Amino acid sequence: MTETPTARSGQPLLEMRGIVKRFPGVLALGGVELEVRAGEVHCLLGQNGAGKSTLIKVLSASYQPDEGEIFWEGQPVSLTTPQAAMDLGISTIYQELDLVPDLSVAENIFLGHEFSTAGFSQRGETTRRARELLARLGHREIPAGRSVGRLSPAAQQIVSMARALSHDTRLLILDEPSAVLDQGEVDNLFRVIRDLTAEGVAIVYISHRLEEIRQIGDRITVLKDGSTVATGLAVADTPTSELIKLMTGRSIEYVFPPRGKAVPRSAEPILEVSGLELPGVFSGVDLSVRAGEIVGLAGLVGAGRSEILETLYGARRPSAGTVRVNGRELRRASVPAAVKAGVGLCPEERKSQGLLLDQAVYRNITISTLGRFARLGFLDSRDERRRAATVTESLDVRPAGVDRLVRLLSGGNQQKVVLSRWLLRECRVLLLDEPTRGVDVGARAEIYAVVRSLADSGVAVVVVSSEVEEVLGLADRVLVVREGRVVHEGPADEIDESRVLDLVMEGKVA
Amino acid sequence: MSEQSTSPGADKGPDTGAVENTVAPTTDTVRVETAAAETERDTGGGLMSGSFGRNIGLVLALLLICAAGVITAGDRFASIDNSLTILRFAATIGVVSIGMTFVVTGGGFDLSVGAILALASVWSTTFATQNMAEDTHWILMVFAALAVGAGCGLVNGVVIAYGKVVPFITTLAMLAAARGLAEIISERRTQIVRNEGFKDFFSADVAGVPLIVVIFVLVSAGGWVLLNRTTFGRRTLAVGGNPEAARLAGINVNRHTVMLYVLVGLCCGLAALMLIGRTSTGSSTHGDQYELDAIAAVVIGGTLLSGGRGTIVGTVLGVLIFSTLSNVFTLNNQDTSTQAVAKGLIIVVAVLLQQRLARRATTT
Amino acid sequence: MRLRTTTQRQQSRRYPGLVVGAVAVLALTACTGSAEDAADDDGGDSTPVAAAGSNDEEGDMVTIGFSAPAADHGWMGAITENVRDLAEQYPDIDLQIAEGTNDVNLQISQVETFINDEVDAIVLLPFDGAAMTPIALEAMEAGIPVINVDREFDDPNAARVTVLGDNYGMGVSAGQYMCEQFGDKPDAVIAEIAGIDSLPLTQDRSQGFEDALAECDLEVSNRVAADFTVEGGEEEAAKLLQAAPKIDGLWNHDDDQGVGVLAAIENAGRDEFVMVGGAGSANAMREIQDDSGVLKATVIYPSTQGADGVKLARLLLQQKAMSDLDEVEVPRTIQLYAPVVTSDNVDQYIDSAFES
Repeated sequence: MTETPTARSGQPLLEMRGIVKRFPGVLALGGVELEVRAGEVHCLLGQNGAGKSTLIKVLSASYQPDEGEIFWEGQPVSLTTPQAAMDLGISTIYQELDLVPDLSVAENIFLGHEFSTAGFSQRGETTRRARELLARLGHREIPAGRSVGRLSPAAQQIVSMARALSHDTRLLILDEPSAVLDQGEVDNLFRVIRDLTAEGVAIVYISHRLEEIRQIGDRITVLKDGSTVATGLAVADTPTSELIKLMTGRSIEYVFPPRGKAVPRSAEPILEVSGLELPGVFSGVDLSVRAGEIVGLAGLVGAGRSEILETLYGARRPSAGTVRVNGRELRRASVPAAVKAGVGLCPEERKSQGLLLDQAVYRNITISTLGRFARLGFLDSRDERRRAATVTESLDVRPAGVDRLVRLLSGGNQQKVVLSRWLLRECRVLLLDEPTRGVDVGARAEIYAVVRSLADSGVAVVVVSSEVEEVLGLADRVLVVREGRVVHEGPADEIDESRVLDLVMEGKVA
Repeated sequence: MSEQSTSPGADKGPDTGAVENTVAPTTDTVRVETAAAETERDTGGGLMSGSFGRNIGLVLALLLICAAGVITAGDRFASIDNSLTILRFAATIGVVSIGMTFVVTGGGFDLSVGAILALASVWSTTFATQNMAEDTHWILMVFAALAVGAGCGLVNGVVIAYGKVVPFITTLAMLAAARGLAEIISERRTQIVRNEGFKDFFSADVAGVPLIVVIFVLVSAGGWVLLNRTTFGRRTLAVGGNPEAARLAGINVNRHTVMLYVLVGLCCGLAALMLIGRTSTGSSTHGDQYELDAIAAVVIGGTLLSGGRGTIVGTVLGVLIFSTLSNVFTLNNQDTSTQAVAKGLIIVVAVLLQQRLARRATTT
Repeated sequence: MRLRTTTQRQQSRRYPGLVVGAVAVLALTACTGSAEDAADDDGGDSTPVAAAGSNDEEGDMVTIGFSAPAADHGWMGAITENVRDLAEQYPDIDLQIAEGTNDVNLQISQVETFINDEVDAIVLLPFDGAAMTPIALEAMEAGIPVINVDREFDDPNAARVTVLGDNYGMGVSAGQYMCEQFGDKPDAVIAEIAGIDSLPLTQDRSQGFEDALAECDLEVSNRVAADFTVEGGEEEAAKLLQAAPKIDGLWNHDDDQGVGVLAAIENAGRDEFVMVGGAGSANAMREIQDDSGVLKATVIYPSTQGADGVKLARLLLQQKAMSDLDEVEVPRTIQLYAPVVTSDNVDQYIDSAFES
């Protein structure tokens, strides 16, 4: 479906021009353009970190933009409070539904603008109006009196939409609405969306799933690194490959270090994973990595890549399978056991999972090797600083100085601090999850070089990345993961990006 | 999916192309460097000097209270006897507060310290314990108190770390249970210590300084070393600052959490012994509301309630500030209600200051 | 301002010796006869607190430290109030009040401060008598006489004078009143609402009540225990009224919790019985004066104990004695009488009653 029944007038409902949003030390949005017409489904595409969530929050007035203009029906408006956005008719349904589980459906729908007389809520009126709204959404079967916590995720989403419609909504923002739904529920959602657009409501639809966009979308705006790279593309006229290219982009030229001599197939593997399974996420994962080898895992977000790394690191408890390092089986679900065996992980969310932001650089580096600097439990912090300084110098962490708080470093240098930790530990197996996310170009090249030189020194490396070209450029061997299963394994130089994308999207791209 | 809206390095326009990308350092790095330099000016550079600056503020506050004491009470305040009175009062609550500092630094919270103290004081002074001590040695009473403290801490720690119950609820339950158990065991009667050896030991002086003050000094010094100079202390900072990062760095976060609660439990057991020595009694009413006093001292000392930063010196100063304040109020014939108001004001001001400092640290 | 002569100082150093030898015969008999005289003393003059002739003449300045538990209860609040009022009436008393704590550690440090200050005497209502004994001994050893009020130390050497209420006597008074009302009615239903059941003072009160009732062949048929608070009184009384559809006499240990008890009685619409209170709050006395409700009497547990302690400390320090006694020293122990207040004599007591 590419046409909505509503005629499109010349004037857009919403226009955002040159929106800039800075956070301390970060430019989250660097000039975003967006134009939404009444009665259309406008899709917002972009990778993780592209700025989609920030943009929504500017639109719903949770954030104030630092620069840029917003026009509503051609008139400049300033959205200073969430209430102001709501008054215009902008409603947002977030991924994490903001419902109160212990209140009833009707109470949730009219939360904040209850029907009341002299402070007494009009339960009858509230219930009647709630039923009307649910009927309008085609979900008469949801009981208005039931508490929301007892509904299915799909029904909760409908309640959320009913709440949005209980205001006079003219623009509805849906953030990854299909993430919690199964196929039948998605079809139902699309029907509701079509009904709404038929009534002239504009929808901003955010999703990773390209096939959904094909089904429901009218036009597309693509964000990358906080900027608009394409806007107003008609869904019907834009091939999927073009969209992927826009999303992943080639704006950054990767500088990959040259691969060394191929590791002989006969070499003993350091890391051996067999039959690893995490229920509902992935199953039957086999993987073996030899000394000096870099193995890349490619796949979509949610395909189970990060979970595979975390599980073999002991941070999640698998239901089946074994992990061996140097032939010895690791105790299940024990990070200390993995670390002791010489495994190190640079986690996906560097700030929340990898670093102690308010601690000095050297403390972040020595945290996994404290025993080495201690005698009877007493730390020799001069030795700590000295050894940390040696490692950070070799990785060129800037600015130098191991007493600096990690919070004050840039993303790339923070990543180098995490790498330094495992470098100091001289680990045998290094697991890298999105090693260059949020890292600037120069630092990326440096990190690639460090990873390669670590491999050359005999470390077995596993890399997970959403950026296919990063996986292909850095790894010796590539595993493609789709929906929790390894669907391809082979040398990195025997496969190209489009083939990987085909494998990743197979059965998904219309 | 969790979208990282604040990813650094996202500030390049789409046209920051292939040409300049290998040039280091990039704009990103330079900007952060400037920010870092600014922060250094504000806090005097580094973590150590930051907390040093905070401690200066606490010392000033303490001096201010002392000045008020000297002005209003003269020699009655500024005498060795009065100083010892302040220190004896501070000692028990001080030992509890040192333990609390570790738990809070490690990202936890303990509401049950006063109740554990009461239970330990009762358990080690029951008829049975005292009889056994009479037959063997009074050191048995010491072991009993420490074991009860550590045992309660162990229960707290295991429920919190492995049962994943939030510390607030767990220790609230322990507060009720431990004090209730203390009441059951003692039948709500005050138990009198008969063993002279025990009484003599705990009311003894070491070179003119009361033993309980010596214990407080030793525990403070030991606590400082433990927090700042050992792997245990470093792990405590890591576990409190970012438990997930600590876990993924290979620290056994659950085990460490248990150890922290055992440590505070031991401190309560020790404080119970000090209070038994001071009153020659064990009672289920001992340690009433010590949890609030200890948390207050820890918070105004500069330990972050959210964990990850702790200061023993700050806690000791916090305890001294409150006990000196209480002394000055007593000397001036002021009732404890006024004192409670003053205490409340001090806590709010200290936390407001702390928040301002924290905000400044994140916005530069 | 502190005036202290060397003679006084020496005098006070002698007290620990005196303490060991002193015998408290006179005071121990207080509840039988002499207390009535004391009551007359208080009620006879226009200024009830300053009545005893030459003893009230201004003497040497004395500094007295006073410490008591937190005033979380009407009676305890009245204790400190009465102490303050008394000190204001005597220009020769310099009162140091360290008030209101349920933390023995803090109360000990308050007493230490008094010792450091070298006050002339310490009047101490301990939160916990046993726990405050070591520090009281220390004060006595430092030559500062300690006057122990209400909650006894566990070592007789820790206080020079002990002023006590009569908990057992309260029960007896209440029981005797019941006997007067229902002595001729052997099947009368007598109910009791006690205070915190595990406290020795509650047990003493109940024992006295039981013993006095036995004298006239009555016994307690329904008994509940509240916790000295209004809420607790209401709750427990409601239960009791539910359990006993018909009651003849009801004794409630404490007038503070009595506010709740009366509320429960009102709610239940019951008025068939006679109720006796305890402690003697002004509230209860007004109720008795009114004579319209069920509350017909209350048994006094004097809230002037602290003030009496301060007054005795002054006499002690100024080397005066209780002028109505031939004895030349202040007695060792004084136990206060627990009189029954009814509409007949309520006017005599209502002015000295405490507000809860």
